[in-house]
Amino acid sequence: MKNIIRMLISLFCLLILAAPAVAGDVNLFIAASLKEVINELSDSFARKSPGVKFVKNYGASGALVKQIENGAPSDVFISANLEWMEYLKNKNLAEVSSIGNFTYNAMVFAGAPGKASSMRDLIKLERIAIGSPKSVPAGKYATEAFKKAGIDKQLGKKLVMAKDVRECLMYAERGEVDGAFVYRTDVLQAKQAKMLFTVPQELYPRVTYPMAMTGEGAKNRDATAFFAYLQSDEAKRVLLKYGFSSR
Amino acid sequence: MIPLAPTDYDAIRLSLQVSLAATLLSLPFGFAVAYLITFVRFRGRVLVEVLVNLPLTLPPVVVGYFLLLLLGKHGWLGSLFNAAGIRLIFTLKAAVIACAVVGFPLLVRSMRIGMEGIDPQLINASRTLGARWYDTLLTVILPLSFPGLVAGSSLMFARSLGEFGATIIVAGNIPGVTQTIPLAIYEYASSPTSETMALSLCIVSVAISLVVLFLHESMAKKMARKN
Repeated sequence: MKNIIRMLISLFCLLILAAPAVAGDVNLFIAASLKEVINELSDSFARKSPGVKFVKNYGASGALVKQIENGAPSDVFISANLEWMEYLKNKNLAEVSSIGNFTYNAMVFAGAPGKASSMRDLIKLERIAIGSPKSVPAGKYATEAFKKAGIDKQLGKKLVMAKDVRECLMYAERGEVDGAFVYRTDVLQAKQAKMLFTVPQELYPRVTYPMAMTGEGAKNRDATAFFAYLQSDEAKRVLLKYGFSSR
Repeated sequence: MIPLAPTDYDAIRLSLQVSLAATLLSLPFGFAVAYLITFVRFRGRVLVEVLVNLPLTLPPVVVGYFLLLLLGKHGWLGSLFNAAGIRLIFTLKAAVIACAVVGFPLLVRSMRIGMEGIDPQLINASRTLGARWYDTLLTVILPLSFPGLVAGSSLMFARSLGEFGATIIVAGNIPGVTQTIPLAIYEYASSPTSETMALSLCIVSVAISLVVLFLHESMAKKMARKN
């Protein structure tokens, strides 16, 4: 009995002592569509400067902003639209001087071949996955395109809301939906789903990825160095490799 | 008045609809399983008991994933239904199935407690007086285990109202079609600008749960007094 109590006490002590984030960590809050790019960039950065440890948090940009707003430890934030960066800036949580554009992307519709070839064809489909527009930029771009194309009413009850753009892609991959609105670069990661058509650019604002350091991040030397590395030519090459456009 | 979007009213309606359908659908099966476990001695009874209770301890996400494998377009039940022109995945039917599976153990448990409380002599007496097994079932066991049935149903209804993990996997999150209250709250909760909307739907959720639980308690009391 004594042993059990001692064990429980030491376990409890361990739990309260476990620090949530270590000083040497760089906390990345990154839009889900950048997952592979940032994985590669952070790996190559970590190889060059050993000792730097990355804590990577991928998700819907809106959800990430909410986490930052609620005090999640964060150093670098990259959003998949301007709206959520603006929101963070207005809350004084982003270092204004650091804000810049990381890269660009485009919206496409992906699914099993033959399902659709234009926005008009969407009306005939049964289930379409989009990111929840409340927090997922890809979903917001998609709904804006529906409105401009005048098909938002017809699509109303066909839209499956995904928690981020990658979940959206997964729905299409598994064939559980007829198709999904994702980024051009996401389709390159897909195995089953194929790109069926690109969404005409006049229907939605350009997909822009703004980047920023948070207040905490600006004080973190490793984070600042990584932030600079993200803007290097090497980073641009990696972005190009994964299908992102630099302009 | 708390602010609610039109899709929130849909979510409330869908939640009640799904929970009610799941509970009603499970009642006959729950009763049969409870009867089987309580009164029939057979090989593998423990196995049935464990299987029935499994969803109680499994993470609902696991249940949802299994259901997805089973009912999905390429799943073996799903493809059968698909051939018959019935779509299950990402429909309200899938939400009902998910709730039915997750809530089933609660229903069976309460029913069993009700059945185990029946004096075996009453059952034996009815049999010696010439009642067939189904006569005994309908005129002795069913009325005497009724409190357990009601308690189980209300518990399962309440559990279904809160079902999230399995539902989001098999039914998806389609506003106005499969988006129940927990799913709507989840969607709001991940958006920085929807704080008040999330909160007002949470209040609705608490209110419904309180009503159901009060009904459950008052019914249980009434039953206890009767006995």
